[in-house]
Order: sequence, then C-alpha cells, then structure tokens
Amino acid sequence: MASAANANLNAVRETMDVLLEISRLLNTGLDMESLSICVRLCEQGINPEALSAVIKELRKASESLKVSENCTT
Amino acid sequence: MATLDQKSPNVLLQSLCCRITGKSEAEVAHQFQYAVRVIGNNYAPTFERDEFLVSEKIKKELVKQRREADAALFSELHRKLQTQGVLKHRWAVLYLLLILSEDPRKPSSRVGNYGGLFAQALPRDAHSTPFYCTRPQSLSLGHGERTAALVGSVGTSGISSLGVYTLNGPTPQSLLGGQVPPSAAGAAPTLGSRLAWALPISSSPSALAPPSARLPLGPPVPTARVIRPRQDADLTGEVHEAALVRDILYVFQGIDGKFIKMNVQENCYKIDSKVVLCKSLRDTSSRLAELGWLHNKVRKYTDARSLDRAFGLVGQSFCAALHQELKEYYRLLSVLHSQLQVEDEHGVTMCTESSLTLRRLLVWMYDPKVRLKTLAALVDFCQGRKGGELASAVHAYGKTGDPQMRALVQHILCLVSHPILNFLYRWIYDGELEDTYHEFFVASDPNVKTDRLWHDKYSLRKSMIPSFITMDQARKVLLIGKSINFLHQVCHDRTPPGKITPASKPADTPKDAAELLSDLEGAFQEKIDAAYFDTSKYLLDVLNRNYLLLEHLQAMRRYLLLGQGDFIRHLMDLLKPELARPATTLYQHNLTGILETAIRATNAQYDNAEILKRLDVRLLEVSPGDTGWDVFSLDYHVDGPIATVFTRECMGHYLRVFNFLWRAKRMEYTLTDIWKGQMCNAKLLKTMPELSGVLHQCHILASEMVHFIHQMQYYITFEVLECSRDELWNKVQQAQDLDHIIAAHEVFLDTIISRCLLDNNSRSLLNQLRAIFDQIIEFQNAQDSLYRSALEELALRLQYEEKKRQREEEGEWGVTAEQEAEEKRRVQEFQGTIPKMRSQLQILTHFYQSIVQQFLVLLTTSPDESLRFLSFRLDFNEHYRAREPRLRASIGATRGRRLSYI
Repeated sequence: MASAANANLNAVRETMDVLLEISRLLNTGLDMESLSICVRLCEQGINPEALSAVIKELRKASESLKVSENCTT
Repeated sequence: MATLDQKSPNVLLQSLCCRITGKSEAEVAHQFQYAVRVIGNNYAPTFERDEFLVSEKIKKELVKQRREADAALFSELHRKLQTQGVLKHRWAVLYLLLILSEDPRKPSSRVGNYGGLFAQALPRDAHSTPFYCTRPQSLSLGHGERTAALVGSVGTSGISSLGVYTLNGPTPQSLLGGQVPPSAAGAAPTLGSRLAWALPISSSPSALAPPSARLPLGPPVPTARVIRPRQDADLTGEVHEAALVRDILYVFQGIDGKFIKMNVQENCYKIDSKVVLCKSLRDTSSRLAELGWLHNKVRKYTDARSLDRAFGLVGQSFCAALHQELKEYYRLLSVLHSQLQVEDEHGVTMCTESSLTLRRLLVWMYDPKVRLKTLAALVDFCQGRKGGELASAVHAYGKTGDPQMRALVQHILCLVSHPILNFLYRWIYDGELEDTYHEFFVASDPNVKTDRLWHDKYSLRKSMIPSFITMDQARKVLLIGKSINFLHQVCHDRTPPGKITPASKPADTPKDAAELLSDLEGAFQEKIDAAYFDTSKYLLDVLNRNYLLLEHLQAMRRYLLLGQGDFIRHLMDLLKPELARPATTLYQHNLTGILETAIRATNAQYDNAEILKRLDVRLLEVSPGDTGWDVFSLDYHVDGPIATVFTRECMGHYLRVFNFLWRAKRMEYTLTDIWKGQMCNAKLLKTMPELSGVLHQCHILASEMVHFIHQMQYYITFEVLECSRDELWNKVQQAQDLDHIIAAHEVFLDTIISRCLLDNNSRSLLNQLRAIFDQIIEFQNAQDSLYRSALEELALRLQYEEKKRQREEEGEWGVTAEQEAEEKRRVQEFQGTIPKMRSQLQILTHFYQSIVQQFLVLLTTSPDESLRFLSFRLDFNEHYRAREPRLRASIGATRGRRLSYI
C-alpha cells in the first residue's frame, strides 16, 4: 500500500520534472508552482486556451501595475 | 505540491493569480474575477483535442526558431511523458505550454503570437464544409497575409491596458496615448483582412472585405474616434459603441447582453429602452440583433430534434447539416471575439482603422445573415416533416436563382438525401429494407404472407417520395426490390444479388450522394434502369425456365378455354351419361377418372406432365334440380410463383369463362345430336307421309338453331378468344417485368369476361342467351319424344305388315277384320297426336324466335362494336328483321347512320 503510493508519488514527480523541462524548452516563463497549478487545472478539464488567456492577462496586469508603481515612485 | 489532489478550480485559480502577480489574495480580487469569468465563459475549444497534432506543432515551432536540438529533446521528453500515465489531458497541458511559449529571440511578441495562433487554427477548420473548398486563390492570399501579420506584429509592445474588465481601476490613458508603435499601421489592416478571410462565404473579396484591407499599409486615416474611452458609458450615460459591439457578439449566440435583451412578448431582441443611445446606433444594433433571433430559431430546432430518435435518420442528418452550418457561424463569432480581445489588449492603438464597429459588423455579417435566414426559413418549412418528405422540402428550397443559396441548400440536401440513397441502394441491390422510422418511400407490410407478396406486401409511400425522384423512378425502385424479394422468398432462388446485377458500389459518402444528386437525369437514372432491367429479366427468366410460366399460360387457353378441341369433345362424349344425371349423384372421383381417360385417349397426353397433373375436376355448388351439366367444371391447380400471375381472382374469372364456354359447347354438341337424329330417321320415316309436315318444321327450327350457335361459336372463338390471346401473347413476349405480364393477363381476362357477356353490363344479354340455350334443350327433348313415338308407331306398323306377310305365306288370310279395325284405330290415334306435336313445335318455334329477336335488339343497341357485327351475322338475310318492328327501326337507324357517314 505504502509502496504503491510511493511509486505513484515518484511517477508524479517525474512527470512534473518532464513538464518543467518542456516548459523551459518552450520558454513559457512558468515556475514549478504555477506549472503544477496549471497542470491541475488542465486535468480538471479546463480549456487550455482560456487558461493561457488568463495567464497572459495576469502577467500584463502585474507588469502594468509594476510600471504604474514605478511611475508613481 | 507534487500530488495532484482535486482542489476546486476556483481555489487553484486564485493561487495562480497570487503566484503570477505576486500579490496577496485581497489585491488580486479583480484579476481573479476576470479569470473565473473567462474560464467559465469559454464555450468550446477552437483546437481539436489531439495530442499528436499539438506535439507536432511544438516541434515545428522549435524548428522554425532553428532549435533542432531542442526539438529532438522535446520529442524525447514527450515520449517520456507518454510512458507515464499520470496525466489524463496531456494535450491540454502541452497546448497550454505551446500557447505560452515565446521565441527567445523575440522577447515580447506574446500578443502577436496569440493572434497568429487564432489565425492559424481557424482557416484549417474553416473549410470542413466542402462548399468552401473552392477558393484556392483566396487561401494562398490569406497565407501570405498571415505571415505578414506575424512579422508586422513583432514590434508591438507587450504593455497594454488592463482591458475593459478593470472598470474602477486606474486607466493609464496618458501612458498608452504616447505608445503607438510604428508598425501598428501595418498590423491593423492585416488584422482586418485576416478577419475577412475567416468570414466563410466571401467568394469575391471585394464584396466583403472591409475597406481597410483594400488599402494595405496606407497611412491611418484620422477619424473622430481616434481615442476610444475604455468604458461602457461616459459621464452623460450614453452607451458606447464598443459596449454595444460586445453585447451584439453575445446576442449573436443567443445570449442576452447587457443592453440588448430578448423581449419575450414581441419575440425579438430589443435594446433596453432606458439606455440612452443615438438613433443610428440603435437602428444598426437592432438590425444586427436579428441574427441572434435567427440563430435561436435554428438552434432550438436542432436541440429539440437531435435527441428525438423517432425523427429518423433523415431528420438526424438534417440536424447534422444545420449543426455544421451553426458551427461555421460559431467559428466566425469566435474570430470576432478574438479580434475584440486583441483590441482590448492593444487598447486604443487599434481603434483607428480596423476596430470592430457596428457598421463593420453589419457588412461582415451580411452573408452569414442571409445564410441564417435561409436556414431559419428551411427550419420553418421542415417543421413536422420527416424522411423523404423532409428531403422534398429541402429540395424545394434549392430552386432559387441565388447561386450561393443554391449551393448552401444543395449541400444540406446532399447530407439529407444520403440516408435515403443508402436505403435505396440497400433495397435495389440486396432487397433489404432497413427503415426503422418509416422514412423511405417503399413500405412493407409484415402481415402479408408470401403468396400475396407481389401484390400486397410492398407499396409506395407517396408522401415520402423525395421530389427529386420522379414517380416513374420510384415505381421502378419499388419493382426492383420487390423482384429480388420475390425471387428469394417465393421462387426460393438463392442467387446472390451481386450476380443478378453487375456489382455496383453503393453511395458510401455524402460526396457520392452529391454527385448523384447533381446528375439525377443521367447517372442515377442509368443506375436504376440498369438494375431494373437486370433484375426483371432475371426474374422472368427464372419464371419461364424453372416455373414454365409461358407453358402455363398456353395450358390455360387449351384446357380452361377449350382450345384443345379433340380433348374437349372426347371428354364430353365420356361425360354425357354421367352429367345427364342429377347433380347430387355425381362423385368427384368418377369424374376424375373420366378426365384421366379423356387425357390418355387424346393428344393431350403429349402435354407436359407438369401441366397435366394440375388439371382437375371441380364441382360447383349444387342447388336443387341441377343436373350434372350445371355443376361440372374443369380446374387448374396453381401454386408457388405461378399463383402470382394466376391469382385466386383470375382463377375465379377463368372458372366463369369456362362455364360459359362449356355451356355453349354443350349446345353445339346437342345440336349435333339433333342433326344426327334427323339424318338417321329421315329415311325411316319417309314411309309415314303424315309426319312430313312436322319433320319439316323440326328441320327448319334445328337449322335456325344451328345457324345461331355456329355464329355464336365463331364469335367466341375468333373474335373473343383468339384476338385477345394474340394480344396477350404479344404483350407477354415484350414484357419487361412481371408487372407487365400480370397487367396483360388481367386485361386479357377482363376482355374475355366482357366480350363473353359475363360482366354486369351485359347481364340482360346473357339472360337472353341462356333462354335460347334452354330452348335448344327443350327442342331436343321435344324432338326426341316425337321421334320416339314415331319410331314406335313405325315399329308397330312394320310388325303388323310382317305378321300379315307371314300369314299370307302360311296360306291364311292376311288380317282379320278385327285386327284391321284395331290397326286402323291405332293409326288414327297416332295421326291424332300429330297436330298436338305440330302445335307444340309451333309454340317452341315462336318462343325461340321471339327470344332471338329480343337478343338481336339488345345486340344492336350494345356499345360494343363486335357485338353489333354479331347481330348482322345472326340476321344476315333479315329474316328476324322482317318480323320484329323494333329491330327494323334500330337496324335501319344504324344503317342509315352508316350511310350518312359515307
């Protein structure tokens, strides 16, 4: 039982490693944590296009916030 | 972290927001809301769910960036990923990564890539409908422009506004105003043209493409709306066009927008009356909102019908066709949406030239609107129809002069008629009917047994014949399948269907159906004709070869219609003593024995055994007082495939005709007997001069009767039977299918029945004829008794003379006075009966002549020409005409008329 869970954990970890590698190759700019969130969302059947749109929007939002902060300071 | 536990998407989204923006949960509330909305709203992915395609795309992308080593590395990783079965939606994750990927050499081209992706993904799908395939030049043009768009958007700044979703947030307009990149002018037209290219039906680009696309790289024309405020309403409360555009895009899908809502009472989309809006915008948006209404209508129909199984295959394919059209429409909407999104991302930079305006939408949506309108009209017209009826309805809409509409309807018709054509091919090549929902135009009645299979089992459903199939074709189709089933079930012929008709492939794809539909007169007709000829010919061959159909037809003529003279004559000779007895004392087995004897003694014995064994005797229902003559009848047993031609009704007709002919034959036979008696007795009775008057009377009446019966027989044999039979024979030789034979046979029987005076119209004629026949029988009896008594008398006289001579030889007195007196008395007594006989004969003659006269009167008024000619033949010397004033008038009238014609 415990070994099975362990093996599963290992498989998951490996998968995440592979995905991170791909993500790095493709230069997506996602770190481990956001990638794992995205993977989980995708696994729940969320439309990847929508998700990507959200991520881009979020990035833009944070950048513009930074810019505006820079301007104000 | 590493475990993929099932947290709710919202929680995950929130943590994602925090993670990317690097802010706390409270700060990212807006972004979070936006994220939830986007993810919740997204109706369908525009990309097919295929992992392989995605991975190929990634590789291509990497190769394009000249990173072949990385591409190899990626495929290695991808293989690793596939071996571990942890992820269920690998394509989704990969696709996400692909979308988020950036070319390291072009650090800030996110937006351009995004737009480019849409543009790449769409056109590939945009022509799944065959109709769109016919635009190669516009496709290549589009490709060139697409690359231009990618190049042009390289320089676009990644920084843009927060979008319309941050209503209350700070709007960095001052910042954005100064950041119009130099390439924006190039990007703007390409975007517009990309849209025009994605619009499905612009066969000529000039008809639809927005004006901006026609001015490539021209300087932006300054307009009044250079800067568009990113708010739905300004301070005066007036609604902005951008907000309306967004609303309209929702309305296009049948979703209520913020301002434009469905008005249930008036059944249309209306702008909220409270909204302040200038009149032209209000007008334009109402016009656009019509699309939403049309879309709803079509959508409602397909939603209601696609789950209804009883709607049948044709209905399902109609729904599928509508769905295809709607999908195309959705694709267009998604392009518009993405355009809107790109605009939002770019902010004001795009508003100058090619942004979405109501006016532009009105132009772009013009063709989709016409299409939707046609679909809606079609849906209305097809309400409550199914099967072939539905196909007819669609076909009726194809008769329009507008080539685009015609192509649209033609395409739908292809899909709709495909199941019908499939039914048709199954039916004409295999004889199988797989029509669970009663959509095909051939109906089968499972209650009908095999013996009525040809006549009753299959029928045409008139309403289900599609209007593009003519009645003639439909009949042929029915006949082909019927023949195949007949061969299998009745003839037990096990030839595989492929051998009857040369192998032909059924329409497997809707494309084949389309080809056939386009060539209904040519290929389709040819196919049906070929199948029809082959199948019918094969069926007739089987019937003639294995079931001797033609021989049976001949046999009917020979036996039931008394064609085989020697046999009939001999049979009558043998049967005469039997049939003279009362009907109740007849036994079928005796008669069957006599029949066998008659067959063996005459030429009938050389006939086919198959035919002879079917010949049988049948006794009709006996009513009191009948003699054997009244109930005797020949019978012919038919079964199996032959019974399809010789049905029970036909056999009933044959029986009636046989009885009539048998009766007429009997009269001829009787008169022969009478004549024989006269000839034999004439010499004998010469010694009795007192009889000569009576005998003369007899001779006259007898020859009158002989003349009548001869003319009748001549008429029946040559003008009825032989003529009709010849006609039948010709028709049967030329018959192409079994129906022709059956019809010819029925015509033959009908003609005979009516010409033989057996139908209802000539009942009075037949009664007269029967009375004449009765008179003949009576005359025979009268003459027989006359001859009997005469011969008796003669014998007595001879005896008397003999005795006298004997005595004289013995030397005695010839006669005593006593004997002489007795002899004299007897002779006188006999002579006393002669006037009685005379008067009896006179009555008979008179009666007979009056009946004949009536018969002639009826004949001359008969509508049938051959019957009128018969009357001339019967009264060739105007013997009866001289006696009957009515006859004189009518014959004179007809003759006068004939003279007047000349």
